[in-house]
Amino acid sequence: MPYTTLFRSEEVAAIQLYFPAEVARSTVSALGEIGCVQFRDLNADTSAFQRAFVKDVRRVEEIERQLRFFGKQIEQAQIPFKGIDYDSLSAQAPSIAEIDELADRARHYEARLNSLNESHETLQKRFVELIELRYVLRETDTFFHQAHAQSGEIRQSVDSDDGSNLLDSNADVEHSAAASRFPDSGSLAVMNIGFVAGVVPRARMAAMERILWRILRGNLYMNQVAIDEAINDPITNEPVDKNIFIIFAHGREILSKVRKISESLGATLYAVDEDSRQRQTQLAEVNSRIGDIMSVLHNTRQTAHSELSYLAQNLQAWMVSVRKERAIFQTMNLFSYDEHQHCLIAEGWCPRLDLDKVHRTLRDAAIHSNSSQSSIMNEIGTLKDPPTFNRTNKFTQAFQSIMDAYGIATYREVNPGLVAIVTFPFLFAIMFGDLGHGFFLFLAALYLVLNEKQLKRAKYGEIFDMAFYGRYIMLLMGIYSMYTGLIYNDIFSKSMNLFGSRWTFPEGSDAETLSGVQIGTYPIGLDPAWEEADNGLLFTNSLKMKLSVVIGVIHMTFSLCLSLVNYRFFRSRLDIVANFIPGMLFLCSIFVYLIVCILYKWSVDWSMTDAQPPSLLNMLIYMFLSPGTVDEPLYAGQAQIQIVLLLIALVCVPWMLLMKPLVLRREANKARAAGYEGIAVAEQHGRISTSANDHEEEGVGAIIAEEIHGEEDFDFGETMIHQIIHTIEFCLNCVSHTASYLRLWALSLAHNQLSKVLWDMTLSNAFGMSGAVGVIVLFMAFAMWLILTISVLVVMEGTSAMLHSLRLHWVEAASKHFQATGHAFTPFTFSAVIDDL
Amino acid sequence: MEALFCQDINFVEGLVRGYRSALLTSITYQNLTQCETLEDLKLQLSATEYGNFLANVPSPLTSSTIAAKANERLVSDFKFIRQNAVEPLSTFLDYVTYPYMIDNVILLITGTLHDRDLNDLLERCHPLGLFETMPALCVATSVSELYDSVLVETPLAPYFKDCLDADDLDELNIEIIRNTLYRSWLEDFNKFVEKIGGPTRELMSDILGFEADRRAITVTVNSFDTELSKEDRQKLYPKLGQLYPEGSFALGQADDIEGVKGAVAGIEAYAAMFDQLTSATAGDNSLDDHFFEHEAKLNKRAFLQQFHCAVVYAWLRLREQEVRNITWIAECIAQNQRDRIGKFAAVL
Repeated sequence: MPYTTLFRSEEVAAIQLYFPAEVARSTVSALGEIGCVQFRDLNADTSAFQRAFVKDVRRVEEIERQLRFFGKQIEQAQIPFKGIDYDSLSAQAPSIAEIDELADRARHYEARLNSLNESHETLQKRFVELIELRYVLRETDTFFHQAHAQSGEIRQSVDSDDGSNLLDSNADVEHSAAASRFPDSGSLAVMNIGFVAGVVPRARMAAMERILWRILRGNLYMNQVAIDEAINDPITNEPVDKNIFIIFAHGREILSKVRKISESLGATLYAVDEDSRQRQTQLAEVNSRIGDIMSVLHNTRQTAHSELSYLAQNLQAWMVSVRKERAIFQTMNLFSYDEHQHCLIAEGWCPRLDLDKVHRTLRDAAIHSNSSQSSIMNEIGTLKDPPTFNRTNKFTQAFQSIMDAYGIATYREVNPGLVAIVTFPFLFAIMFGDLGHGFFLFLAALYLVLNEKQLKRAKYGEIFDMAFYGRYIMLLMGIYSMYTGLIYNDIFSKSMNLFGSRWTFPEGSDAETLSGVQIGTYPIGLDPAWEEADNGLLFTNSLKMKLSVVIGVIHMTFSLCLSLVNYRFFRSRLDIVANFIPGMLFLCSIFVYLIVCILYKWSVDWSMTDAQPPSLLNMLIYMFLSPGTVDEPLYAGQAQIQIVLLLIALVCVPWMLLMKPLVLRREANKARAAGYEGIAVAEQHGRISTSANDHEEEGVGAIIAEEIHGEEDFDFGETMIHQIIHTIEFCLNCVSHTASYLRLWALSLAHNQLSKVLWDMTLSNAFGMSGAVGVIVLFMAFAMWLILTISVLVVMEGTSAMLHSLRLHWVEAASKHFQATGHAFTPFTFSAVIDDL
Repeated sequence: MEALFCQDINFVEGLVRGYRSALLTSITYQNLTQCETLEDLKLQLSATEYGNFLANVPSPLTSSTIAAKANERLVSDFKFIRQNAVEPLSTFLDYVTYPYMIDNVILLITGTLHDRDLNDLLERCHPLGLFETMPALCVATSVSELYDSVLVETPLAPYFKDCLDADDLDELNIEIIRNTLYRSWLEDFNKFVEKIGGPTRELMSDILGFEADRRAITVTVNSFDTELSKEDRQKLYPKLGQLYPEGSFALGQADDIEGVKGAVAGIEAYAAMFDQLTSATAGDNSLDDHFFEHEAKLNKRAFLQQFHCAVVYAWLRLREQEVRNITWIAECIAQNQRDRIGKFAAVL
C-alpha cells in the first residue's frame, strides 16, 4: 500500500516517454492538467530558435500580443472585464482547431480595431483643430475689441508719426499694429502689418516668446491668453494645456519667419480674418462643423465600444487558452524528435506514486483522440540526483515552505518541514505566551481558515496574501500561545485565579512586606499570587530563563538525532561513528548535563535542607575553570562526575576532528595500493552503459547517455579542512546556540512587560473614575488599549516572535542535521502559467 | 575624500555596474549571428537583459524597429541615472549629452539646407541631445543667426563662439562647425574632469584623449582632396590627447595616408592600427572598426576602478556599441548579407 509521508521526500522515478507525433500535443496537454511530470531539457545545446516547435510558440505569442492589445484598448475605454471564470481554468486545453479559429478572430478584431482607431484619430484631430479654431476666433475678438476702445489716441500717434522712422522702436510697432486694427484707418495690408494667430502648448510658450523676441529683435506685438480646458491630444489621448496667441509683425519676410518658428515649436496656426463680421460667419460655420464631427465621433466611439465590450466578455477565457497552448509547445520544445519512428521522446521525473496516474492519462489521451497508438512510458535508471518532492496539502504547505525557504532538502533526506509543524508554533508561543493575545491571533486565523474558499480568489495586496498563505501557521500559533499563556497564567498581562491561589498571607498585619506561606501546588501553570508579589519578576525570570535553556537543548538534541536517522538511511556508518556519536557525547556531557541539573534543582525542596541552592551558571563555568572542586554541591559525588564528563567532552573534539579524514585516507590508500585507482569511475561507466544497452534496440540509446560524475580523486587536504570547519563550528555552536535560545526568555519577558505597561497606562487609569466622565474616559481608554493591543502586541510583537522562531529553526536546528542540497520538483502544470491572470 | 565621494555616487555606480554585467556576451553574439530571421533574433534577445522589449511590436519586424527599441531602452536607462545623479556626476552627465546635442544641431542645419521635412529630421534626432528650442534652428540661414537666435541659450553657446567667423552655411562650413564644436567640447570636458580629479580624471583623460586623437585622425583622413586648407585643418585638432602637440602638428602637414601614418607612428596603439590597415590582409576591418575596438578596451578599463564618474560614460559608450552591433546584425539578416554578419566590434 503506497502512502505519502512528509518525513522524507517522495521517491521520484526517472521516466522516458514516447509520444506518437499525432497524439503528442493532446497528451502533453493532458499531462499539463494533472501536473505531476517534470520534463528535462533534452535539447540544451540547441539554441532557442532551432527547436522543433518554435514556429508554433511564435504563432501563439502573436495571438497573445493581440489579446494584450485588446486588453489595453478595453482598459482605455474603461469597460469592465468579465471576471475570470475559475471553472474555465480547469477546462481542457483548446484543440488545434480552436486555436486556429482564435487566431483568425484575433487577427480580424485587430484589423478592425486598428481601422476604427485610425479613423477615430483623424476625426479627433479635426475635432481638436475646430475646437482650437473656435477658441482662437473668440479670443482674438477680444483682442480686436480692446484695440477699438483705445482707437482715438492711437490714431493720433499714427497720424503724427508717419515716415521712415515709424518702425524704429518697439513702442511704434505696437502702436502702428494696434492702429491698423480698426477698419476706417486702413486695413492691415495697407499698413504692411500682418498677424499670425494660433494655438501652442502652454509649456512651449516661454521658449517661443524668447526665440521670437531674439529673432525679430523685439519687433513684434504679441498677445496671448490661456485656454481654460485642457485639450486632448489626438495621438496620445492625453490632455494638454494650451495657449492662444496672436502676433502682429511688420513685413512679409518677418511674418513668414514667425510662422515657421511657431510651427516648428509645435504651434498650430489658424487663418483668422481681421474683419469682425467675417469672423462671426466663420465662427458660426465652425460651430456647425463641430456639431457634425461630434456626432460622427460619437458613432465611431459607439462602434468601438460595442466591439470592445464583446472582446471584454471573452478576453480572459481566450487568454487562458493561449497561455496553455504556449506552455504545451514550450514543453514540447524540450523533447527530442525521432524521425525514423515519427515520435517524440521525452525524459523527466515523476513521483513513483503518480506513475499509475500518468499511465492512465496517456491511455485516456490516446483514446480521446481516436489514435491507434498510445504514448508509452518507461522507467529508466539514472545517476542524476532526482528532485525533491514533498506532497503537501493546504495545511502542511505553509510549514513546508518555511523550510524550503532555507533550502530544498536533499533527495530522501529527513524533511524538517514535518517537525516544524509542531516546533515552529511552539517556539513562537513560548515567546508570545499570552492567553488573550493568543486568542486574538487564533480568531483572526480562524476567520481566514473558515472563509478560505472565498478569500482565495480575493486580491487584497501582498501583505494580506502572506497572512492568508500562512493561515494555518497562524492558527496553530494562536492555539499554542493560548496554551503557553495558560501556563504563564497571563491574559492581557493579568493573572487568572481559576483554582484559588495556593499561597496565604497573614491577615491584618501592619508590616510593609508580607511573606506568604505556601499551602499546596497550583494545579496548572503559575500561581496567580506571583503577579502582585514583589519578587514576582525575579521568579518568572528565573523560571523562563531555565525553561528556555531546557527547551533549547532538547530542540538541538532532537535535531542532532535527526542526523542519525539520515546517516542510517544513507547507510553511512563512518558518519555515525565519526560525527554523530562524538557530537552527541559532547552535547550530552555539557548541555544535557546542565538541564538535568536544572530539573534536579527544581525537584529539591531547598527550604528543607541546610545547604544553599547552588548557582547553576557558576557551576557550569567552574566545571571548566577548576575541575574537581565544587563550592556549592548540588548532589554527592558531583566533582568526580563533572571531571568524567569534562574528559568525555575533551576526547570528543579530536575524535570528531580526526577520525573521518583519517579513515577516508586509509581507504583511498588501500584502494590505490591494490591498483584499483579509478575503479569507481569505471563501474559507473558500466552501469550507465548497461542501461543504455537495454534501450538500444529501441534506437534511443544516445538520449539517455548522461553526463557521468566520475568519482573525484581523494584529496586529503580538502577533507581535513572541511572536517576542521565542521568540528569548530559544532563545538562553538553548541555554546552559542544554547545561548541563542535565551531569546525565548527575552522575548517572552519583553512581551509580558510591554502588555503590563500598556494596561497600566490606559485601562487601569480609567477604572478609578466614576460617573459620566468615567464612562467616557473608560470608553476612550478601552478603545486605545484595544487598538494598541492588536496593532503593537499582537501584530508587531507577533511578527517579531515569528521571525525569532524562524531563526531558531533555520540556524539552531537546521545546522544540526539539514543538508539542503536538493533541487525542487517543478512539474509541468497549467496552473503555473495561468496564475497571474 | 573618496569615501565622501562614494556616498554620492555609489547608488548610480551600483546601478551602472549592474547594467554593465547585463551587456551581451560573446556567446550571445554568436547565437545572434546564427539567427535566420529577425523573429529568431527577437527570440534570442528575449533571453537576455533586453527581455521582451519587442513583445508588443506587431510583425513583421524590421531592423529599424529593433534598433529604435534598443535605443529607447538605452535612453531610458541613461535618463534614470541622470535623475538619480548629484553633483559632480550630474554636471558630468550633462557634459556627456553635449555631443548628441551637437549632432542634432548639425543634423537640423544640414537637413534644412537640403529642404528636408522638419518632422522627419526631429524624429531622427538623438533623444539625449534634445533641447526645447531646437526645432527653431530650421529658421536660421546664417551662422550668426543660428547663434543669436537659438544656440545662445544652450550649453553649446561657449563652444560656438569660435565658429562665428564662418560666413555662410554650406557643406564644408557645417563640417568645420561640427568639428570645432567637438574640439571645444572635448577641451571643456577635459577641463571639467581635471577639476573632479581622482580616478575620474585618470580614466576620463585617457578616454577623452583617445576621442580627440580619433577625431584628429579622422578629420585629416577625410580632408584629403577637399577644399579644406591646412591652416583650417590645424585649427580643428583638439588640444589634448596623445598626439597633441607633436603628433597634431605632423598631422597638420600630412598630405596622404602615408603622412598620417608617419604622424601617428610615435603612438604604439595607433601605429599598430595603421599597420593592420595597410598590411596584406587589409580590407577586413576599416579604421573605424579599429577605433571602436580600442575605445571598447578603454571603456572596459573604467570598470576596474571604483568611486568615479567614468563608469557611466564608459557604460554608455559600451551600450551604444552594443546597440550598433545589434542593429548591424539585424541589418545583415534583413538584407541577407550573412557573410558580413561577423563584422562588428564585440563589446565584451
